[in-house]
Amino acid sequence: MANDDGFFVFSGRFDLTQVSKGLKGFSLKIENSIPRRAFNLLDCYDQSVRAGGRLLIQTDDVLRLLNSDGSVVEQSGIGTGRFVQDLPEGPVRTALTGFSSLRALMGITSGWFESHDFAVLDDLQKTQVRGFAQSLSTQGGQVVLVCVQPMRGYDRAFQTVRAAFADLSSGQQSMEAVFQALLPGISPYKAKPDIALGTDEPSVQVATDIIRTYLHVARQNEAGVIADIDTEFLHDYRVSLRRIRSVLSLFKGVFSPDQTAEFKQVFSDLMAPTGPVRDMDVYLLDKDMYFSLLPSNLHLGLEAMFDQFRAERARAFQALTKQFRSTAYEQQMSKLTTLFSEAGAIQPGPNAARGAYDYACALIWKRYRKVCKLARRITEDTPDEAVHALRIDCKKLRYLMEFFAPLFDKKAFKVLIKPLKKLQDNLGLFNDYSVQQDALLGFVSRQSNAQGRVNAQLALAAGGLVGILDQRQRAERHRVIASFKHFDSQDTQHLFCTLFHHKEVKT
Amino acid sequence: MKIIACYSNKGGVGKTATSVNLAYCYAQAGYTVLLCDLDPQGASGFYLRVKPSKKLKDARFFEDVERFTGSIRASDYDRFDVLPANLTFRDFDVFLSRMRNKRSRLKKALAAAGSDYDVVLLDCPPNFSTLSENIFRAADQIVVPVIPTTLSERTFDQLVTFFEKQGLPKKKLRAFFSMVQRRKTLHLDTIERMRKLYRKRFLNAEIPFAADIERMGQNRAPLGVYAGRSAAAIAYQELFDELENGEVSTI
Repeated sequence: MANDDGFFVFSGRFDLTQVSKGLKGFSLKIENSIPRRAFNLLDCYDQSVRAGGRLLIQTDDVLRLLNSDGSVVEQSGIGTGRFVQDLPEGPVRTALTGFSSLRALMGITSGWFESHDFAVLDDLQKTQVRGFAQSLSTQGGQVVLVCVQPMRGYDRAFQTVRAAFADLSSGQQSMEAVFQALLPGISPYKAKPDIALGTDEPSVQVATDIIRTYLHVARQNEAGVIADIDTEFLHDYRVSLRRIRSVLSLFKGVFSPDQTAEFKQVFSDLMAPTGPVRDMDVYLLDKDMYFSLLPSNLHLGLEAMFDQFRAERARAFQALTKQFRSTAYEQQMSKLTTLFSEAGAIQPGPNAARGAYDYACALIWKRYRKVCKLARRITEDTPDEAVHALRIDCKKLRYLMEFFAPLFDKKAFKVLIKPLKKLQDNLGLFNDYSVQQDALLGFVSRQSNAQGRVNAQLALAAGGLVGILDQRQRAERHRVIASFKHFDSQDTQHLFCTLFHHKEVKT
Repeated sequence: MKIIACYSNKGGVGKTATSVNLAYCYAQAGYTVLLCDLDPQGASGFYLRVKPSKKLKDARFFEDVERFTGSIRASDYDRFDVLPANLTFRDFDVFLSRMRNKRSRLKKALAAAGSDYDVVLLDCPPNFSTLSENIFRAADQIVVPVIPTTLSERTFDQLVTFFEKQGLPKKKLRAFFSMVQRRKTLHLDTIERMRKLYRKRFLNAEIPFAADIERMGQNRAPLGVYAGRSAAAIAYQELFDELENGEVSTI
């Protein structure tokens, strides 16, 4: 049977008059219609609107958001290329509160839209049930959404109408069915796809699978980077490459030494031009935060600084897109894709045949012990480098655990990841504050002339920020120590030991 | 929540038409409205195509909160619900006091049912009784349609006298001239005389005698729906505006 609410999905054509037969004692009357017009299906790249069971479409300058319960909100405005927080005030924007502020809306597909409001009337022509039918058609297919809404005091009529529609409908009655009809065969982008692993799968296979998967994720982001839709495309691209590089450095001995060295170089070169753009993106995204840190009499210098950041970003972005568009890049990427897709194309190393589970335990246990060793030494006075080293090792530990997660108990992993994530958040902030201070100082020195003089406004703003960032960095170190203490609890130690430390397989 | 009673101690003065059209004006202005059809001869429900509920003929239903809220029907118009009663009134005063009391079960049930209305409009029966007195006490405003004829003048005098005798606040009385035919000298003279006599009681808005209003019975819809730009529809809108911008005590 269909759902309790009155939401129905009909794939293909659907004629409202079909339902009249099932409505004994009632008649169906079309009230208002929106004639056929072009529509754009909007979502961000990872389809969060869809994931939330909702559908956002744009027709002319009207944004229409259909909720999973069939309720509709509308407002005027153009959504394509905009962030939800930049939409004009209105019910659609309000309904999308909580939507990622980093992801821009973009056209996912387009086609034709048509809508009819209808009323179900009794013998006195009194409306007892209201509803609407919306038809959406794309190149992929056509779907008609019907939503019937009860009116107070007319529950029986609602049940009759609902049953009449339910009799005619079949299959899945959810918003997801709508997406599948409109976008057949297209699965939404996933930044972290699930990678299936077998306990005894050879490690070289695991490494190849992970690299192939993330190579594909990286490639899926290229167009978005070039189109400069939002900063998440480049971010995801970089994260994918970083995961690949961590496989290359962490899965020691699965590939031959020569091949490993070659891959390391290749992926390092791919990563290189993305850094300067991402650095500037991070500044520009945090612009409001920087302005709030400084008193308004220093804002003039900050403005000048951000003008420079924008200019620097534009330069770096141009260099990056030039690379993305080059034939050499395309050749390189397709060569890598082929290499990691074909079995036996890569020279195996000494650990290649080792079973995934056994290998995972060894790698994770080793990394965990290293993290603990480093972290237990950190005090108020340890140099920053030690904290940075801890950050890198925590990241490696986390990647390892994520790569091999399918081989272990989900619940136990959740328990371990939570305090680790907290520690990593603190370490990340510590690192950001430190990197930003260096960057600001470097920036000021680049802006100074041969005599070492620099625009006073700019220097004031930079100096102010460095002061604040330094304080924050020191405060964060306290939190790192506290978070590690939490991570280093008896229970966690015990859990790590039981999960990963098996004496008989230890090498 | 505000309670507005539409009352006349004389029949056939356009009371029900006023209730329905005023309720429609309130709903159109964005208020949530419950129109209670309390007049056994009245036809609020008829005008809105809402069939009288059999359940409601039981006099004691006001004590049964669920049955009360379950008897409310949506009209065809947004924010506009109807209680199609044709009630007997044994417990109506209980109902009124409960509507007034924030902590009563009735009030809570209404709120829970998503129907804590901004405005409750009562289409009252045309008689004097302890019930009417309760209505007069409970309502924030008592809207009284008066046809400008000698007979109506008498009944309005009686109403005002009743208020004075019972010590009821006269300022709740918001009378207006209904079914006005400005071609008739009698109407014009009566209006002039009564406006002088009851200077503060009468609203400026006047509802004309109009075929459009009579057609409500055929169309079975508020005037604004089928004759939105008619003089009569505009007159009801003016009546609403004047009521809404006047002094109202709200709880």
